[in-house]
Amino acid sequence: MPRPEINEITFVVDGREVVAPAGTMLADAAKLGDVDIPVFCYEPKLGQPVGACRMCLVEVEGIPKLQTACSTPVRDGMVVNTETPRVKAAQESVVEFLLLNHPLDCPVCDKGGECPLQDISYGWGRGTSRTVEPKRHFEKPVELSPLIAIDRERCILCYRCVRFSQEVSEDYQLILHERGADTFVGTFDGHPYVAPFSGNIIELCPVGALTSQAYRFRARPWDIEQSGSVCTLCPGQCNVSYTVRDDRVMRVLSRQNDAVDDGWLCDRGRFAYQSSYVDDRVTEPLLRDGGVLRPVSWERALAEAARLLGKTPAGLGALAGGATSNEEGWLLRRLHADVLGSRDFDSRSGASGPAVSAGLLAALDTPEAQATVPDVEWAHSVLVLDSEPVDDMPILDLRIRKGVRRHGMRLAVATSRPSSLDSIAEQAVRFAPGAGEAFVCALDAAVGGIGDVAGLAAAAGADAAQVEALGRMLREAGEDVVIVWGERLTHGANPDNAARALLKVAGRLSLLDDHAGAGLLQVPSGANGRGLREIGLLPTAGPGYREPAAVGRSAQEIAQATIAGQITGLHLLHVDPVQSFPERGLWEQALHAGAVVAHAQFLTDGLREHANVVFPAEAGAEKEGTVTHPDGRLQRLRPAVARPDGARPTWQVLSQLIAAVGGQATALTSMMVTSEIAEAVPFYAGITHDEIGGFGVRWQEREAAAAFPAGETGPFALEDPRPAASPNGALRLGRFRSVWASPEVAHAPALKFLAPKQRAELNPDDAQERGIRHGQQVTVTATGEDGSAETIAAVAHLRAAAPRGSVFLESGLGAESVDVLDAALVHVNSDPARPA
Amino acid sequence: MPWNPGDDLVAVQRGPEPGGLGGAYRVLGETLRGLKTSFGRVVEGTTTIEYPEQKTPVYPRFRGRHRLHTFEDTGLEKCVGCSLCAAACPADCIRVVAAENDPIDRVSGGERYAAVYEINMSRCIFCGYCEMACPFDAITMGHDYELADYNRSDLIFTKEMLLQEPPVRTPLRAEGE
Repeated sequence: MPRPEINEITFVVDGREVVAPAGTMLADAAKLGDVDIPVFCYEPKLGQPVGACRMCLVEVEGIPKLQTACSTPVRDGMVVNTETPRVKAAQESVVEFLLLNHPLDCPVCDKGGECPLQDISYGWGRGTSRTVEPKRHFEKPVELSPLIAIDRERCILCYRCVRFSQEVSEDYQLILHERGADTFVGTFDGHPYVAPFSGNIIELCPVGALTSQAYRFRARPWDIEQSGSVCTLCPGQCNVSYTVRDDRVMRVLSRQNDAVDDGWLCDRGRFAYQSSYVDDRVTEPLLRDGGVLRPVSWERALAEAARLLGKTPAGLGALAGGATSNEEGWLLRRLHADVLGSRDFDSRSGASGPAVSAGLLAALDTPEAQATVPDVEWAHSVLVLDSEPVDDMPILDLRIRKGVRRHGMRLAVATSRPSSLDSIAEQAVRFAPGAGEAFVCALDAAVGGIGDVAGLAAAAGADAAQVEALGRMLREAGEDVVIVWGERLTHGANPDNAARALLKVAGRLSLLDDHAGAGLLQVPSGANGRGLREIGLLPTAGPGYREPAAVGRSAQEIAQATIAGQITGLHLLHVDPVQSFPERGLWEQALHAGAVVAHAQFLTDGLREHANVVFPAEAGAEKEGTVTHPDGRLQRLRPAVARPDGARPTWQVLSQLIAAVGGQATALTSMMVTSEIAEAVPFYAGITHDEIGGFGVRWQEREAAAAFPAGETGPFALEDPRPAASPNGALRLGRFRSVWASPEVAHAPALKFLAPKQRAELNPDDAQERGIRHGQQVTVTATGEDGSAETIAAVAHLRAAAPRGSVFLESGLGAESVDVLDAALVHVNSDPARPA
Repeated sequence: MPWNPGDDLVAVQRGPEPGGLGGAYRVLGETLRGLKTSFGRVVEGTTTIEYPEQKTPVYPRFRGRHRLHTFEDTGLEKCVGCSLCAAACPADCIRVVAAENDPIDRVSGGERYAAVYEINMSRCIFCGYCEMACPFDAITMGHDYELADYNRSDLIFTKEMLLQEPPVRTPLRAEGE
């Protein structure tokens, strides 16, 4: 549903006239008149109030009994009193009641000093207790999950955590057990509460009942400082606040920015900070010497890197990973394009095919067609296309659920792997893995009502009736349609055709005209995918989507050229292609063949084996620079803690590399690089760190957006898409990357238990045909074109929702990753070595 | 041209010229006057003491070197590492890093204990706020005031130092003294 119009009303609170939006709850509206009403259970982020704690009782003239301010909407002319003796007595009684069973162990409680119950007891309580009876006792502290400790004695039963689990993250795990004073929070059968967003309940808890295991007893509120920045682990780019003690990040809290994260944070963002304090982090420059990487001085490492990159008679290739900031990307581009004269660089994490051409990129990213994150929540309907938000951009998953639950948004999901959003989606359409291009062509025919829907749907491995129904739904749902599409849609062999088809669908739904609230929202595969695209770190586009003089090699072509000897030096910025690109074997050969200069936090497989020079990279909390959110919001990274001793910022290393290979290093500070970018990208013109500020600024909303280049305009002619491979006895191979498959998770002690293991998701019928049972060890074999066979081991995971004829395996897991297999079809057999 | 001070000129009044017989007489007179006071006090006896062999006794409330306490029966530390002393300290000289107790080998009575407890004695102003803030009477101010040392880092007292019974070297003032 579109955003409602907001009328203003006037009401009186404690004798002050206050103007507030109609329908606001009294507890919020009173704040506009500087009147503080104490609350425990009320949290607007959680949706509808429940009025469980009774702390917010106020007197409303004309209503005989006291009312809960959290669940009473303001009306015009309402007269509210919050300081009468009746209210005072009620507040004192409620505090006394809540403290009846609350242990007074504040000195050992982690919440002490930042505890709403402490504050409200001081502010509104009686100050003395009349209780002489013994308090309720529970075993304490109990592990609610490996990340969260629960102390049930301290719980005041405000329902916040339960409501989060039931109504926000919708994992339906937390419930309240028992009745009355015996009530306690837990999961239904006592299993650990493990969910992608579980950490949020720590922040929601108004008392010390739910505390972080990782932060347990680490610091007191007066020992710490908060430092705001942006998380760069996924394209969600949630705003975070680092808690710093003794120059060390102790925890990560959400920093509410409604336009980005709505005040939530996923567990990866919340706990991955720990990975910067492990022993195997790279903290000094390493040089391969006698086959082993050894620490060397910066001068030696820079000289060696400059020798490897600068004096190569043949070509050079560069790759940038998702965590690369705009500044680092820009300097990498400058080093390669301007100083070394190479055009072979790519920033699309995990892409195998060629890149979309500049004109089509500009057409897809044009300000008129851009949907923002809040648009997702307020749209009439949303189509999630070839993306699994909870893995690719977790925070968007909560936004979609919020739209469906609270604003009646209609959701459609079109993916190849069953999505976690299927249960709330009106339409869930499956297509064959890798057939995104064919599916969008079919969808275009269905939305337009012309063309061969049945034929195209068959090519995509989708059900034609379902595609027709999806097309009908999008056409009829209302004018505000948002298409959330995953970048992997354009990772196929013919990305331009997929992009054209998507533009055609968007055009038919009139998403391309300047209509606020509707449009396209891409989920890039790298955290700063959009920023790196806009500064021109693509083979097909220059800064600001300018057409390049010559199209460079894409990631896959760089690998092939390296093996063929046309490229001799590879420069890897925050990326290990062996870990993050689909063709593991190809990249291993490429890294082996070329000289490799890398910037990395951890020595992942490819770097440990093949890198010649490794420069230490900063962790998220140590970084300075800017990143661009998928909806065009430029956000600023601020360093919260110092780098490890001896490490240098990556932008500085790149700048020194430019100087070392004979270029002119112009940047003395990170901010100077930002202004270089602002000069080169027309629609970023004049942007400064001050303007970006704490909550970022969308470039589409600035005047300079007028300088956005005109992209390709229709009418687009579509080529026949390549049909999905026919299973023919084998299974189509689908790949997915879990939110937990990242080096940060593998290295963070608190998160290690979540590091995924390889599993083969397949339909029970397919499994039965092969005599495979759930949980059994299986082998997945792919036969290459030359007849060579690659096999990986996995655990069979039967999912009724998985489409027949496909098997899905996890990527990003190292040697057991699906990336080892380079084929569209695989055979799955029960492991003869380990029979069931 | 020399400067003409005009009406601002002030004449300096001078005393008798030093030296000569008159001068010597005056000096001798003043010396004897001073010595009269000194010899007059001799009969009152000494008020100074032979520090460091002898020490000034202190009042029971005297705030000297801190002490951390343990429970007499169990031997567990009273401090739970709540850090309230650090919050109360106006000189910011206390540093507490807490940790979780191992149930098998407990350090303190509560869930947490102070893994690091340091007081920087060179900064402490002996105000006693830490003692007042402590919810468990784990830290008290002792009577020892002899804290001088040769370098600053030795003045950072660790938990082990603060837990030890300090050598009794400061006499307490007796009742009515």
